[in-house]
Amino acid sequence: MKKFLALVLSLMMCLSLFAACGKSDDNATDTQGSENNTQGETNGTETAEQHFRTFISAEPSTLDVSRRSDTYSSSILVNTVESLVRCELRDGEYVTCPGDAESWEVDETGTVWTFHLNENAKWEDGEPVTADQYVYSLRRSSAPETGCPNAFFLQPIKNFSQVNSGELAVEELGVEAKDEHTLVITLENALPAYLDMLSSTIYYAQREDIVDKYGDKYGADAETFISNGPFKVESWTHNNSIVLTKNENYWDADSVKLEKVTFSIMSDENTYYNAFETGELDYVSTGSAEWLDRFQKNSDNVLIQYPGATLSYAFYNCNDALFQNANIRKAFTLAIDRDEINEMCFSGLRTPTYGWVVPSMSVGEQNFREVVGDPIKEMQEDLKAENKTAKDLLLLGMQELNLGDDPSTLKVTFSLAGTSDWYRTLGDFLQQTYLAELGIQIDISFAEWGIFYDNVEKGNYQIGFMGWGAYYNDPYDTLSLFVSSTNAIQTNWSSEKYDELIAAGSIELDAEKRLEIYAEAEELLLKEECVVSPFATNNYNLFVKSYVKNYPEGTFSNEGLKYVEIVK
Amino acid sequence: MAKYILKRLGLMVLTLWAVVTVTFFMMRAIPGDPLAGMARSLPEQTKANYYAKYGLDKPLFEQYLIYLKNMVRGDLGESLQFPGRSVTDTILETSPVSAAVGGIALCIGLILGVGAGILAALQKNKWPDYIVMFIAILGITIPVFVLASLLQYLFAVKLQLLPTSGWGEPKHMVLPVIVLSFSTIATYARYIKSSMLDTLGQDYVLTARAKGLSEFQVVSRHVMRNSLLPAITILAGRIVGIFTGAFVTERMFSIPGIGFYYVSSINNNDYTMILGTTVFYAALFIVVQFIVDFIYTLVDPRIRIVPDKN
Repeated sequence: MKKFLALVLSLMMCLSLFAACGKSDDNATDTQGSENNTQGETNGTETAEQHFRTFISAEPSTLDVSRRSDTYSSSILVNTVESLVRCELRDGEYVTCPGDAESWEVDETGTVWTFHLNENAKWEDGEPVTADQYVYSLRRSSAPETGCPNAFFLQPIKNFSQVNSGELAVEELGVEAKDEHTLVITLENALPAYLDMLSSTIYYAQREDIVDKYGDKYGADAETFISNGPFKVESWTHNNSIVLTKNENYWDADSVKLEKVTFSIMSDENTYYNAFETGELDYVSTGSAEWLDRFQKNSDNVLIQYPGATLSYAFYNCNDALFQNANIRKAFTLAIDRDEINEMCFSGLRTPTYGWVVPSMSVGEQNFREVVGDPIKEMQEDLKAENKTAKDLLLLGMQELNLGDDPSTLKVTFSLAGTSDWYRTLGDFLQQTYLAELGIQIDISFAEWGIFYDNVEKGNYQIGFMGWGAYYNDPYDTLSLFVSSTNAIQTNWSSEKYDELIAAGSIELDAEKRLEIYAEAEELLLKEECVVSPFATNNYNLFVKSYVKNYPEGTFSNEGLKYVEIVK
Repeated sequence: MAKYILKRLGLMVLTLWAVVTVTFFMMRAIPGDPLAGMARSLPEQTKANYYAKYGLDKPLFEQYLIYLKNMVRGDLGESLQFPGRSVTDTILETSPVSAAVGGIALCIGLILGVGAGILAALQKNKWPDYIVMFIAILGITIPVFVLASLLQYLFAVKLQLLPTSGWGEPKHMVLPVIVLSFSTIATYARYIKSSMLDTLGQDYVLTARAKGLSEFQVVSRHVMRNSLLPAITILAGRIVGIFTGAFVTERMFSIPGIGFYYVSSINNNDYTMILGTTVFYAALFIVVQFIVDFIYTLVDPRIRIVPDKN
C-alpha cells in the first residue's frame, strides 16, 4: 500500500511538471497560428514581404500615455499613435508636418493655439479622431488621481499647476474642444518652442470609452489598447515581442508601406548582435567599436550614423564644503580632456562636448553650438594662454576657502551610478586624470542606480555622473533643468539672473534673440559658475539590412517607421 | 497523521507570514523609489500624485496591513514598474513559461545526470568515469551566459540551424533547454556518483553479494534505491527553481518567463512585484518541501512520523 502511495505521489509530481509544459504548449500553437495568419495576408499584396524585424532592449512599461515613464514604450507609441503635429526630418532639416491636425495657428499673444483636426483621421476601429479626445487625454494626465509621472510636461498649459494639485477642477485646464474638429490650447505664457513639445507622447489623444472600459489595465496589453497611428498593436507577448500591423484606417495609410513590424524584446547585447548577423533582425544599433567594424565588413549591412541628444556629464553638489567654490568646480571641469575621455570610455564613438546644449540642437534655423561656440574649450584655451593649468584654479579655490595649498589633503568622492566593468573603467580614468592634473587622489563610489540617485536627491554627494536625453529640439529642454524652481539635476545651485534669462528665453518669439539669451544663460552656467561638466554626446550607429529603405534619422524626429519600406 | 499535517500547515502559514513581513519592511528600507528610473528630480506635486495613486503616501504600517488584507484574498496588487498589470496575473502567466523550459531541462538533466553518475560510479577510475567527471566540472564551472553565447554563435550564426532567441515554437526551446540541463547533469552526475560509491561500501551490499545475487540485481535492487535518496533532497530545490525561472538564460533567449521580474523588480523598486515574487517563491518552496518530507516517509523506511508524545 505504501509503495503504491509513493508511486502515485511521484507520478503526481511528474504530472504537474508535464501539466505545466502542456499549458504553455497551447500558448505556443496560439501565437504560431496568429503569425501564420498575418503572413498569409501580407504575402499576397506585395512582391517583397513588407515585414520589418527590429528590437527594443527592454519591455515597455505600458502604452498608456498618462501612466508611462520609461523610454521603451515610446518606441511603440510613436508608431501606433498619431501626434497632433509630426516632427520629420526632410533633407537634414526638421519639419513640422500635419499629424492629426491638418493646420494650426497661434494668436498674436502667442498663448492661444488652435488646431484644426483632419476629418479623415480615424482610430483603428473606424471611429473619428475628435478634439474631445484630445481634451480628455490632457485632462486625464493632469488630474491628480491619475498620478501621471510625466504630467510636468504639461506645465505650459494654462491652470495646469492648480489642476494637478487639485485646487481647480480638470475642466479649468486650458484646453477646449471648440467643435468636433477644432482644438484650442491656451498657455500660461507664449512659448516659441511649443510646437516641438507637441510631439511628446503626453499630448496624444485618448479614447474615453476605451480607457473607461479597461480602467487601470488600459494600455497594459495589446487587447486593452487602441491605435490611430500608422500601425496598430497586433499582439504583445510580455518580455518577448510586440507585433504591429498596418492600420488601414490611418489617415495617411497610403504613405505606409510596411504591413508588419515585429519588435523583439532583447536585452542581451550578444543576443541582438547574433540575431542581426543571422538575419533574424533587419536592424541593430551598437555602441561598441568592435561590432561596428564587424558589421561594416558585410556589404549587406548599411550603416546609418547621426548625432544623438543624450549628454553624459558630471555635476557638482554646490552645497558641498569644497564644491561650493566656483574655481574648484572649474578646476575639476577643465582638468578633463574630452577627446581623451571619449577615446578611453566611449570607444571614440561619441562627440566630445564643450557646452551644456548638445551639438545636435538648434534654435530656429541655426545650430546652437555653431553660433555660440564651445565655452569649455574656450576656457581651456584661455587658461593655456595665461600659462596656467587647472591646478592653479584649484589652488586659487583652496585659498579662497582657506584650505591651504596641498591638493593631496582634499577628500573628494566621485559617485557613479553603476557597478559594471564600464563604470570601473570610467572610475579608473577619472582617478588617474585628477591625480595627474590636480594632484588629488579621489575616491570612487560605485552604487546601483536607486542608491546612487537617492544619495543625489538627498544632497549626499560631491560629484556625480549621469546622462540626460533631450526631449525636443530647443535649448530650453536642457537649460531649464537648472532653473532654481526645477533643480532637476540636484546641484543645489540657484541664480536669480539665470532664472530670469531662461524665463525670458522661453517666451522670446524671435529666434535670433532667443539664441542670444540662451547663449548668455549657458555662459553664466559654465563660464562663470561651472555647475556642471559636460563630457560627450551620444551618436547613433545603426545598421539596417540593405533592403530596408527610408529608415528614419534624426534624434528629434517622431516619424517612427511610417515611411520604411522593404525593397528586395 | 492528521494532526501532523495540520501542525505542518499551521507552520507553513506562519513561515509565509514571517517572509512577507520581513521582506515588506526590508524592501522599503532600500534607498530609492519607483520614480528614480526617470533620472530627474520631479516636481513635488507630480511625486505626491504618483504616491497617492499607489497608496504609497499612507503610513508604512497601514500599507503593510492593507497588503496583508489583499494578499489573503489572493490580490498581490498592481505592478509599479508596469502600470496596469496585476502581480498575480503576471506570476500566473509567466511561471508556466519558465516551468516549461525548466521542467524539460530538469527531466533531461535528471535522466542524463543520474545515468552518468551511475556509470561513473560503476566504472570508477576508468575512462567513462573521467569523461563524466570532466563534463561535470565543465558544467559547474562554465557560466551560463558564456555557454548560452557559445551555443547561440554555433547553432544560430554558424550552422544556422536554430533561431538565436524567441518564444512560441519548439525550436526556440532547444538551446535554452541545453543550457539549463547542463548544470543539472553536472550536479546530479557528481551527487549520484559519490552517493553510489558510499552505498557500494555498505555492509548490506556485501551481504547481498554474499548471498549470491548477480551484480545487476545488487545494483538495481540494493544500491540504486538507496543511492537515489539524497537525490530527492536536491530535487525539491530544483523543482521550485524551475517555476521561479532562470534569469540569465531567459534574458539571453528572450523567453517571457518569470525570472526577469525577480531582478527587474528589485532594480526598479517595484514594491508590489518584489513582494509578489517573493511570496510566490516562498509559498512554493514551503509546499514542495512539505511534499518531499512526505515522500521521504514513504520511500525511506527509516523515516517515520511519530505521533506527538504529549
